[in-house]
Order: sequence, then C-alpha cells, then structure tokens
Amino acid sequence: MTRPLRWRRVLTRLVLAALVWLVVAVMGLPLYWVATGALKTNREIYTFPPVWIPRDPQWSNFLAAWEAVPFGRFFLNSLVTTAGAVTIELLFALLSAYALVFLDARGKGFVFAVTVAALLVPQTVTLLPNYLTIARLGWINTYQGLIVPVAAVAFGVFLFRQHFLTLPRELVDAARLDGCGHLGLLRHVVVPLSQPVIVTFLVIYLVSHWNDFLWPLVATNRLEWRTVPIGVAYLYDVEGVQNWGPILAGTVMALLPMLVVYVLAQRWIVKGIGGGALKG
Amino acid sequence: MTRSLTRRRFVLALGGLSGAALLAACGQSEPTPTAAPASGSTAASPTVALASGTGTTSPTAPAVVQNTGSKVKVLYWGSYSGTLGEAEQALVQRFNESQNEVELEYQYQGSYEETAQKLTQALAAGTTPDVVLLSDVWWFKFYLNDILLPLNDLFAANGIDTSDYVDPLIEEGTRQGTVYWVPFARSTPLFYYNKQIWQEAGLPDRGPATWDEFVEWSGQLVKREGGNTTRYAFGHPSAASYIAWLFQPVCWQWGGRYSDPDFTIRIQEEPAVEAGRFYLASVRDGMAVPSQDLVADFVNGAVAAMMASTGSLGGILRSASFPVGTAFLPEGPAGFGCCTGGAGLAILKNKPQEVQEAAFRWIAFATSPESTMWWSQNTGYMPVRKSAIASAEMQRYFEENPNFKTAVDQLPKTRPQDAARVWIPNGDQIIGKGLERVTVQQEDPATVFADVAQTLEREARPVVEQLKRREG
Amino acid sequence: MERSLKVLEQQRTVATPVRSDEQAAASRLRRILGERLLFVLFVAPNLLLLAVFTYWPLVVNVYLSFQQWDLISPVKVFVGLENYRFLLGDRDFHEVLRNTVVYTAGTVGGTLVLGLLFALLLDQRLRGIALARSVVFAPYVLSGAAVGIFWVNMLNPRFGVVGQVASWLGTVSPDWLNHPRLAMVAVILVSIWKTVGFATIVYLAGLQRIPQELYEAAMVDGAGALARFRAVTLPQLGPTTLFLVVVSTIASFQAFDLIKVLTNGGPVNATTTLLFYIWEQGFVAFNAGRAAAASVFLFVILAIISLLQVRIGERRVSYD
Repeated sequence: MTRPLRWRRVLTRLVLAALVWLVVAVMGLPLYWVATGALKTNREIYTFPPVWIPRDPQWSNFLAAWEAVPFGRFFLNSLVTTAGAVTIELLFALLSAYALVFLDARGKGFVFAVTVAALLVPQTVTLLPNYLTIARLGWINTYQGLIVPVAAVAFGVFLFRQHFLTLPRELVDAARLDGCGHLGLLRHVVVPLSQPVIVTFLVIYLVSHWNDFLWPLVATNRLEWRTVPIGVAYLYDVEGVQNWGPILAGTVMALLPMLVVYVLAQRWIVKGIGGGALKG
Repeated sequence: MTRSLTRRRFVLALGGLSGAALLAACGQSEPTPTAAPASGSTAASPTVALASGTGTTSPTAPAVVQNTGSKVKVLYWGSYSGTLGEAEQALVQRFNESQNEVELEYQYQGSYEETAQKLTQALAAGTTPDVVLLSDVWWFKFYLNDILLPLNDLFAANGIDTSDYVDPLIEEGTRQGTVYWVPFARSTPLFYYNKQIWQEAGLPDRGPATWDEFVEWSGQLVKREGGNTTRYAFGHPSAASYIAWLFQPVCWQWGGRYSDPDFTIRIQEEPAVEAGRFYLASVRDGMAVPSQDLVADFVNGAVAAMMASTGSLGGILRSASFPVGTAFLPEGPAGFGCCTGGAGLAILKNKPQEVQEAAFRWIAFATSPESTMWWSQNTGYMPVRKSAIASAEMQRYFEENPNFKTAVDQLPKTRPQDAARVWIPNGDQIIGKGLERVTVQQEDPATVFADVAQTLEREARPVVEQLKRREG
Repeated sequence: MERSLKVLEQQRTVATPVRSDEQAAASRLRRILGERLLFVLFVAPNLLLLAVFTYWPLVVNVYLSFQQWDLISPVKVFVGLENYRFLLGDRDFHEVLRNTVVYTAGTVGGTLVLGLLFALLLDQRLRGIALARSVVFAPYVLSGAAVGIFWVNMLNPRFGVVGQVASWLGTVSPDWLNHPRLAMVAVILVSIWKTVGFATIVYLAGLQRIPQELYEAAMVDGAGALARFRAVTLPQLGPTTLFLVVVSTIASFQAFDLIKVLTNGGPVNATTTLLFYIWEQGFVAFNAGRAAAASVFLFVILAIISLLQVRIGERRVSYD
C-alpha cells in the first residue's frame, strides 16, 4: 500500500471519529441542559446568555421535588404498574406469537390482523370508554385498574412472530419428535433462542408504560395511587411562574430508572433487534 | 404427581387466565410453581378491597355517606399543585382542625382543564366528588347540564351575606339571582413593568395612563442592536397562555366586546376590530412581540412591560432580578376596562343533603374574610370579601406590598368576561387562535375577527339551545 | 444457537427415562384438545383484553360519531353523517390533515435518514463507541412531556440555547415555536431528536447482520464505497427500513404529549395534528361527536397507509 493511501485512510478515520463525537455533542446537548437545569435557580434559568455551568448547584431542588409529593409511593406505583403490565404483555405476546407460528389452526391470518390492527386505535379513543369500564368494575384507584386496560399487546406479537418465523424449522421438529409439548418447546427452545428479542421487547414496553401519563391520570384520583409522571405534573403551578429547578429535578428523577435499564440492557438491545426480529 | 395431571392443571389454569409460570417442562416432572408473576394483577387481589373504600359518594347510592365517628367526609377536587398546592393543602388542614363535624379530603386532579375532564368522566361513571374547583371557562358547562347545587339557601342558613363578596366576582357565578359558583382563587389582568428599564429610559415610575402614552414611551423602551430588536416595549402571550383573556379588557377599552350575554357575537364589529388593529400595529411597528413564554421574557428583560395575571405576581417577584412595578391597565379610546378570571368552588347536586351542607361549610370557610386574607397573601389571588380588603390586617399587608395593593385597588373596577369566551365551548381558544393570526401572522383583524365570529356563532348554537331549556 | 442446542440436549437426557409416559400423556392430551383448542387458549387472553379495552371503545367511538353530545348531558342527539360532513368541509380540519401529513413525513423521513447515517457512523470500532451509542439512544427513553419541557426552554430565542448559538453565528434566532412555518419544523426536529436513537439502534443491528462476503464480492468487482453502499447495504437493510417506516408512521400519527407541551398545536393551528385535534375537540371543546368522527378518519387513514406501506414494501424489499 502506498504512503498517500495510508494517510488518506488515517484521515478518513479521524474525520469519521470527529463526526461521531459531533453527533454525540448535538444529541447530548439537550440531555446536558436538563441535567444542569435541575441544579439551577429560576434566575439562572431565565438568564441570557444562558448559564452553562450552574454557579452554585442547587442540589436542594431534588430534595424539594422529593418532598413536595410522596415520590416514594409514586415510584412504587410506577414500578408495580410497569412490571405488572409488561409481565402480562410479555406472556401474552409469547403465547400469541407462538400460536401464530407453530400451531396448526385455522383463522391465523384473522387473529394476526385483529391483533396488529389494534396499533391503529389512538389512545384518545379509548380513554373515556375504558374509564367507564373500570369504574363499573370498581377498579378506579387500584393496580388492576392501572394495569389490565393497558396490558393487551399488539406490537409485541408482531415482533415475536417475525422472530419466530426465522427460527430453524428443523430444530422445532426435532424437539417435537422428542416428545416435547408445545409449552415445553416454547419454554426450552423458543424462549432461549429469543432472549435478545425479549430484551428489546422489554425495553420498548418498559419505556412506554413508565412514561404513560394519560391513562394513570384517568384511572386514579387519589394521591396514593398516582404514578411518577403525574408526580412530576404535581410540581407545576396551574397559574403563575413555574419553579423550574424542582420541576427539572423531578424530570431527571423520573427518567433515571429508564436510563439505567437501557445501559444495563444495551448489548442485548443491539443484538436483539439484529437477532432476526426483522426478517420475514 | 403424574405429568398428565400437571398438564391438566395447566390447561385449567390457562383457561382461568392465570397460567403464567405453569409451563410444564418437557420431560421434567417438576412441581409447578403456583405463584405466577402476573397473578398480582389478574385474580382478585387485596387492592380490590381498597378500591371500594375510595370515599367517593356516588349519586346512585346516597346510603354510602361515610361517617367516621360523627364526622361527615367530604371529597374535594382541585387543580392546585406546586406552591399553590401547598397553600391549598394548608388551608384544608386549617379547616379540618377548625371544627369536628366535617372531614375534607383534597385531591389534585391536574390542570383546570383536566379537572373539568375528570369531572365529566366521573359524572358518566357516577364517581363524582362532593365539591369541586372550576375555572371561569368551565363552571358554566356544568351549570348548563344542571349538576351544580343552587347555593342561596345554604348561604342564608349559614348567615353569610353574599353582598360582602366583591361584586363582579360573585355576580359572575350568579344566574337568575341564584349563586352556583363561589369566587375563591380569583385573579385579574394587571400591568407589569420593569422599573430598571423604566429608569434607564427616563420615564416616570408609573404605568402608562393610556395606550397612546405607552406607544409614545415605547420609543425609549425598545432597544435595537444592528438591525435586530433585542428588547421590546410589550409582549403578547400565545393562545395557550390565554391571550383571549388578556385581550378582553383591551377590547372593552376600545368600546367593543366579544359578545352580548345572550351570545350575540360582537367581535367582528368595528370597535373590537379597531382594538385588534392596535395589536396588529404594535407588532408591525416593532413595539411588541408575540411570545411563547411571556412571563419568562419579562423576567429576563426581553420585554419591558406586559399584561399578566395578578396570580403571577409572587412568582414574578421571586424570579426577576430587577424591581418590578405594577399598575392599572392603560385606558383606551373608550376609557378603562378590566376583567376577572381564575377559579371558584361549586357543590354537586345529587348528593345527600348532609354532605352538601358539610361541603358548603368548606366553601364558607375557604372564602371567609380570614381565610381569603391568608390565601391571597400566600398565593397572590384576590381577596374575595369586601370586609377582608377593608380590614386593618390587609391594609398593613398592602403597605408592605404596594404591588399587591395595585391589584386589589383595581379589583372593584373589573367586570365579568363576555359570554363568548367563557361560555362557548372552546371559546377561549377560538378567540385566542384568531388573535394569534393577528399577532403572529399579522393578518387583517377585520378578516380574522369575521372568521372568528362565524366559528363562535356556530359553536354557540348548542349552548343557546341548552340554555333555553335550562332557564326558559 | 449453539447454546440452545445444548439446552435441548440436556432436556433430552433428562427426558429419556420417562419418554413413553410423556408420549402417552401428550397423545392423550392431543386427542382431548387438539392444536386448535390450544391455539385458542394461547391467543384468547390477549384477544379478550383487546376486545374489551381497544375494540369496544372503537365501537363506542363509531357510535358517537353519529351523535351530537357534550359528554355530560344525558341526551345524545342523533345527527347522522353531520359530523363527517362538517369535517370534510371545514378549513381548519383540512389544515389539520395537511399538518399531519407534513409532520409524519418529516418525522419518519428524518428519523430514518438520520438513523441510518448515525448507524453507519456508530458502526465503527472506536474508543467510547458504547457511550456514543448510549447518548444517541437515551432520548428515546424519555417521556414526550419531559422532552417538551426542556426544549421549550432551549428554543426560546431570547434566553434559550438557540439564542446563544445564533449570537455566536452573529445573527438572531427566529422564534421557532411561535413562527407560522418554523413551529412545525421545530416540532419535527425535536421529534426526530427523540426517536432517532431507536432507528439508529435498529439500523445498527441490521448493518451488523449483513454478511461480510457480500462486501468482499463487491470489492472484487471494483465497487467504490458509495457503490458498495448502494449495491449491498441499502438492499440488505430493506426489511429493517420497512419495519421502521411502519412503526414510526404509527408512532408519529399518535404523537401527543410532545406537541401539547411544545406548542399546544399553535401558533394558530400550525402544529395541530389529527390526534391533537381529536383531543382538543373531545376534551377541551367537549364535542364528543366531532372528536369521534375525526378518530374514525384517523383510524381509516392509518390503516390505509400501513397497508400501502406493507404492500409496496413487500414488493420492493427482497427477503434474502
């Protein structure tokens, strides 16, 4: 290889690396902004030119947010609700997708269509009727009221079905010949082969439930049943000037658990979506 | 245990919708775990018991009046969170400690809008609260549907003279001589100015007497660097920040109005359009800027003056790094005009009489001269009782807080808003978006207001019919 | 794959001693149930939830679209197709439809193009690449409302970050969120910022699945970097792209929190999308009938678009 060519390659690598960090800077700036905003006073937030590094970090903003409302209880509620809904969804998605791919039955196309078409129904349509349903069931201010109406799964079925279609048929047939029942097959063959997709599924669904605001607002009306996103809304004033420090501190507290989940699952997520979920 | 039994159990369990972890292993006869991860949410769980004890009294079951000891429980829905929420909670606590017969529970339901939405849903499901906080644009909707309790008898029974309430405030919640909506957290628009900029510009330390005078002053207030304006004399809020509320008094100052009380729309008529032209000119001539976050722009010195709610006073004083001045709204060609705003309290019909009486005791307490003094000093809302304003304590407070005094002094000169904004569904946003067409898109107010009038007339029709049925 | 084969092997050894018993039980069960019944048992719980909490509301919605109702009054007035007729003739609604198309096209297009670009960049061996990927993905886990809150602050031309950046560039920032045309641009950009991480990770995974031999073969044919990208990378990413198009389209049609906080649909109606309009008509104006009719439009439009995407996609995407 000639010298200029090698130089060109080094240069290309440098440029590419620089581009990567440029992307990181642009994408990360707002994150930096919210994180430091949580440590600012209202005056610093309302100053021009903007304050990049808070002069006197207001850690008390976090304390103020924590003490303004029972965040401990809200975190517990969010945790139970999110975990409950995601568990049901995972189970239902696995069972449905398995049935759609590996079981021999009529009406598969119909079931798949009905399941996936649910994605097209906007949440605004379901709010009022679902409120009336859970009110009739006496489920207002309960975990089941928070969980069950949002636990039906559509996208997850699609995700798993696409993945299952890529699993080698021979493997499945071999297991069947071994006398493995369908549940055994699902549990000991299909699920282990789907772990990355399951992680992907979990991330997507954890995020959407953890951040859901409208349904928990509708399904509860007592302090002790509220979830974290509503807790953040509690920090707002209905009129007047917002107290930004605690609001942003509450926002940061609300998003931390999801960031932790992502960082822990990152390797799996990349692998998972690549694990064949998109084929077929 | 044989495998087939395990399987059968599994099938049964799945049929019962709770077969989470009952997956039988292939070739393994392990005992099946019975506690499915999802069981907490499927089968009847202990939370069901809690659910039935929500403390809400449903209209269909008046027998559910809950007496703990001899106390009547009253459920109160409101919109106050943040610093206002703390004040509200403190007031509720004072009430509960002040007597032994009623126990009030305050539940925050979201913004004014969300509280009204939740009340609507609760009505459909029969899970309403007993007493509710409704803002100026929402209470009428519930009055129209005849679900608010007439309060005159309760006022009389409790020996409260309604004439002690500030007139424009109590009048706004009165229909055909009956009070339905009691003023509680009421505010009015106020003129705010940046004293530091005023001083730099060499202006007298007061608000402009008229808009003409303000236009004259604006030359000194606007600052340009290069070809760009870095400071405006005035700002217009967005529709979401209630520009239709703040334009209401300006419309009156020009001799116009949004509508008559009988929903005859007047916004397309000349005086109102002329006021619109003033707004258009203010933006076109570079004196004012439409702003997404007007209070922030003011606090930051990007606009020298603004109209904003009296309820923002405390927050503005906390956030501004310059001395803040307040003044009456400037006068227009037709003189002075200022409207009321904010929220009031109402009691739901179809509740047991005992509960309604208990709920009224809360309203009487919350709007008593003592409470209204405490509440207004802690929030910036207007004191709603004349005797409170005249009291020595309030006068002392005024001396220490001259800005607050300005707001209260202006109060008797205010009047309730026009029906078009507060009583037509979404009227506030219909007018507000029209005003944005003027301030942001710089369209001709005559065209815009004609469009707005057409929409308002259309949306008013069902309300007019309903009102006819309601009031005859 | 290897691992699960091993798992399977282990199962097999454990299973051997009781094989005949197992088979007998299995066949007995199969007789009783059959796969069809098992199928029903597997899909029924989820379908039941969908029926009660998704499709029942949809039925109620269709019913309401023929009524005039303020959500409170005990009487609903049957108005036939009036709500639909109103929407079809309403200028504001036409603008809402236009906005929805612009927002969706902008968000989906931007997310995919940038997502692919970012994925190509992040598909390098580089110190700290894991951190870089984390930063790009992180916005995806935030709630729309939270994202809106700090972007409103950053986009303020007079004291926000954009004002600062503009002054560094020696100019003045426009008022993004309060400008008749730029408001939509700003909303789209923020939406892209929030969702591009997901597309990036998905594309990244897709890139890593492309067999290296294809590139080598192309290089042997003398294809340059750009030609290789067009001949190998793009077609190989076909299924990934189709997946992202469908998913992003549905997500952007249902975007609400972000728009509510950023612009509240304004200025005027400049950023009012169909879902936002439904919410406004239903829960602010309390016009249940009109909101329901608009919902039916949304459902139908979304269904048509999704079907078209899948149809076109399937014809053009080759599954190797």
